[in-house]
Amino acid sequence: MKRRKVLFAIVAVTVLGILSGQLPMKAVTSRRTPNMKSADTNTVLLPNRSPLVSFRILFMTGSAYDPKNQEGLASLTAAMLAEGGSRTKTYAEITDAMYPMATSFQWQADKEMTVFSGSTHLDNLDKYYALIREMLVDPGFREDDFKRLKEDAINYLKTSLRGGNDEELGKEVLYTMIYPSTHVYGHENRGAVGALEKMTLKDVRDFYQNNFTQANLVVGLAGGYPEKFPAQVKLDFAKLPMGSTAGIKLAIPTQTPGTRIQIVERETRSTGISLGFPIKVTRAGKDWPALAVVASYFGQHRSSNSYLYQRLREARGLNYGDYAYIEYFPRGMFQFQPDPNLGRQQQIFQIWIRPVEPQNGHFVLRAALYEYDKLVRDGMSKEAFESTREFLSKYVNVLTATQDAQLGYALDSRYYQIADFPTYMREQLAKLTLDDVNRAIRQYLKSDAMHVAIVTKDALGLREAIISNKTSPGAYAPKPKELTDEDKIIEAYKINVKPTDVIVVPVEKVFQ
Amino acid sequence: MKVFIIASLILCLPLLGMAQKSRKAFAYDYTIDDLPNGLRLITVPTDYPNLVAVYIVVQTGSRNEIEKGKSGYAHLFEHLMFRGSEHYSGAERDAILKKAGADSNAYTTDDRTVYHEVFSKDDLDKVIELEADRFQRLKYPQDGYKTETKAVLGEFNKNSADPEEKAYEVLRATAYKSHTYSHTTMGFIADIEDMPNQYNYSWQFYGRYYRPEYTTIVLVGDLKQPDALAMVKKYFGDWKRGNYAPDIPSEPDQKEPRESHVEWPSETLPLVYVAFRGPAYSDEKKEKAALDLLAPIAFGENSDLYQKLVLTEQKLDSLSYIFEDRADPELFLVAAKLKDVKDTDYVRQQILDTYRRYTTELVPKDKLDSTRSRLRYQFALAMDSSEAIAGSLANYIGLRRTPETIDKIFSLYDTITPQNIRETAAKYFVDNHRTVITLSSKKEVAK
Repeated sequence: MKRRKVLFAIVAVTVLGILSGQLPMKAVTSRRTPNMKSADTNTVLLPNRSPLVSFRILFMTGSAYDPKNQEGLASLTAAMLAEGGSRTKTYAEITDAMYPMATSFQWQADKEMTVFSGSTHLDNLDKYYALIREMLVDPGFREDDFKRLKEDAINYLKTSLRGGNDEELGKEVLYTMIYPSTHVYGHENRGAVGALEKMTLKDVRDFYQNNFTQANLVVGLAGGYPEKFPAQVKLDFAKLPMGSTAGIKLAIPTQTPGTRIQIVERETRSTGISLGFPIKVTRAGKDWPALAVVASYFGQHRSSNSYLYQRLREARGLNYGDYAYIEYFPRGMFQFQPDPNLGRQQQIFQIWIRPVEPQNGHFVLRAALYEYDKLVRDGMSKEAFESTREFLSKYVNVLTATQDAQLGYALDSRYYQIADFPTYMREQLAKLTLDDVNRAIRQYLKSDAMHVAIVTKDALGLREAIISNKTSPGAYAPKPKELTDEDKIIEAYKINVKPTDVIVVPVEKVFQ
Repeated sequence: MKVFIIASLILCLPLLGMAQKSRKAFAYDYTIDDLPNGLRLITVPTDYPNLVAVYIVVQTGSRNEIEKGKSGYAHLFEHLMFRGSEHYSGAERDAILKKAGADSNAYTTDDRTVYHEVFSKDDLDKVIELEADRFQRLKYPQDGYKTETKAVLGEFNKNSADPEEKAYEVLRATAYKSHTYSHTTMGFIADIEDMPNQYNYSWQFYGRYYRPEYTTIVLVGDLKQPDALAMVKKYFGDWKRGNYAPDIPSEPDQKEPRESHVEWPSETLPLVYVAFRGPAYSDEKKEKAALDLLAPIAFGENSDLYQKLVLTEQKLDSLSYIFEDRADPELFLVAAKLKDVKDTDYVRQQILDTYRRYTTELVPKDKLDSTRSRLRYQFALAMDSSEAIAGSLANYIGLRRTPETIDKIFSLYDTITPQNIRETAAKYFVDNHRTVITLSSKKEVAK
């Protein structure tokens, strides 16, 4: 049954939706050579005997490739391929054909990766593949699909994000603060309202021709598909234009010292806070496993097993949860595990404070900064290091429990040029020492340029409180005695910010 | 060994290509063990290596919150159960689960509360011991209790940014007057705000429902049934049976169509929710099964209505339906998100006309067959890890405490005829059993 996303039903649905998988498999990865011929499509293959077949068809393109003043074009093009008709079939005909198979075709467009994914029972492989092949290789690009999907994108920004999800709003605003509009990461993946309004179908066609090319393609397949199936897929996708692999190379945005705060003003019951700054490490870097340990210890996603959660939620009851990240993790309020294929050349360190009561907004911001400073100053203890390392060594099984997740991680490992993810993690974690981790904290997580995005109703009042640096006692009860001294420090904790760096933005102006 | 694993895996998975009648929808071998105290254990060994998923299903949800002023307590317990027990503090519990590499969480619905973990198989004994302690010997001091009620308020606050949550909350309060489905799982905000003062009541709630006769343990994964049973007997065997049965008020017959409007304080796309009273879950009576099959035909992405309003006329951002499997009669809801508030009446009428259409018109036989196929594949495609299997089972265990109900409901789908669907639609989609909720932003109403 199709289920509406509501309250707790969503937990079950999300869990079911993201889990699809199989026995562990060894990936067979092909890598393009400079002299490749047209049918030498890049592939990541995970064959097994499962009666399910998973597809992840990845193009190395995304919103970082949006032309200037056409922010959102990559995303809209992806939507046109996955939610629009093919040349011979309307979108309605495609969904009709998928209906008895209970299949669908999903898309996800990030900065540098755009992935199309879906699973089918082996019974229906030929029928399903014929549909998705044509959608990607021979799209319809009809005006009515374009009109509908462009409106969807605009409505996503204007109402879903601005008006219906304060948490995702704050997180996305944080990224636009860290990456200025001059940076190719400097806009929301779905785009900007003004640019989308002016976008034409021709723009989509051009973007498709230039970016959805063989050079940018990696085909991922997992499951019990016939032996000759990958060769057929390669042949079919050789119909795409060749293109070239000249990817962008990014410089880390320069950070000037000092805290910067953007307060988004909207009518809401609560106050949500996201903080962060860019880091120089990605999964390709040798210190990534060390930072993964730190992020898990400090704020494992949706887990009570983390430091920040224990201090803010468990001890004080200030909100629903508090987490930390070293990789982009959209839709975190709806899912327990991250989606794969969000590979980026640059990542940020992020702290996510879930909505608090407005009278505690200032106190909790200070508490988050206080705990962050403490982490950087004191590092991790031996005990915390060892237990977190053991957790991650086993948790990698949970992250890759399903065939679809294994395929997604294998594609990401190819991108970052590391071994298959579970092996990589277990081997790297086994070698890691406490010194490595504490050195990585000092080297990468020490920043005097913190960006803070806040979503709240009384933005001017909060701004005034922050710039005056006046005491802000935490208004929560009961207050355990052992927290009294610490709260005294936190309520007066100095935020190093100039008044000109605390700006208030009405929500209507965001992503405009 | 590996060959054996692969072969048995294939035998386990639903063989959808086989003859339609004899196949089982839930094709895994399972064992049911009932302890003398009323606790039930369901074990499903699979060939997915290394991991075990534990789902503990308590047949208590917001449906059981029968006292005035006491909504939201099933969900509150979903929180309190993480604060520690007699032999393990919350911190000790966290440390053990961390060592097991566990993903651990819980959720609450109208009818059930489910605690779940997925973790490394070697830690099964310890996890069962931990679970047994909190189910039998939960311990939380008054201060810790109050702190947790604040986290619940935080959860309400984070949800409250979403207009769809609000519309759903108002729908329930409008459609139900006596039955506990009148409140959502979160509970009424006034009750949530009063929770800090209800420490003693919270223990009463725990004493009533955290009992073996309400509870089923589902274990799925890389395990052996005799070992699992021994562990469960060892740690849960002394759990005392309770004697409480709630008197859940029945909902009187609805005598008139109902309607409510919600003004949303900020910019939003308008919503139109049109619901009719439907039947409760049943794997024996045809009515729920008939409407389950009708829902995607009439309102799914392939329906005429969806094609018209979403794809052709493009008046809607989304159109969806929700018709959950519930212990008591549940709403059949169609939810539309509009692009323009001026289309509200038009969309409302289109949805009503579609409901009405199927009270007189027969669904085409081929459409019905492809819907049956869809439901089977949908279920099969979701069953692809130990956790996914356990998660899918939890819904049915909450209703009937046995996976057998899955095969029964899918067999029932096979017997439904177009005439059954038309008769059921005509019985349920009547004006006096209708509730409509509209929501739009304040500014738009003022225009």
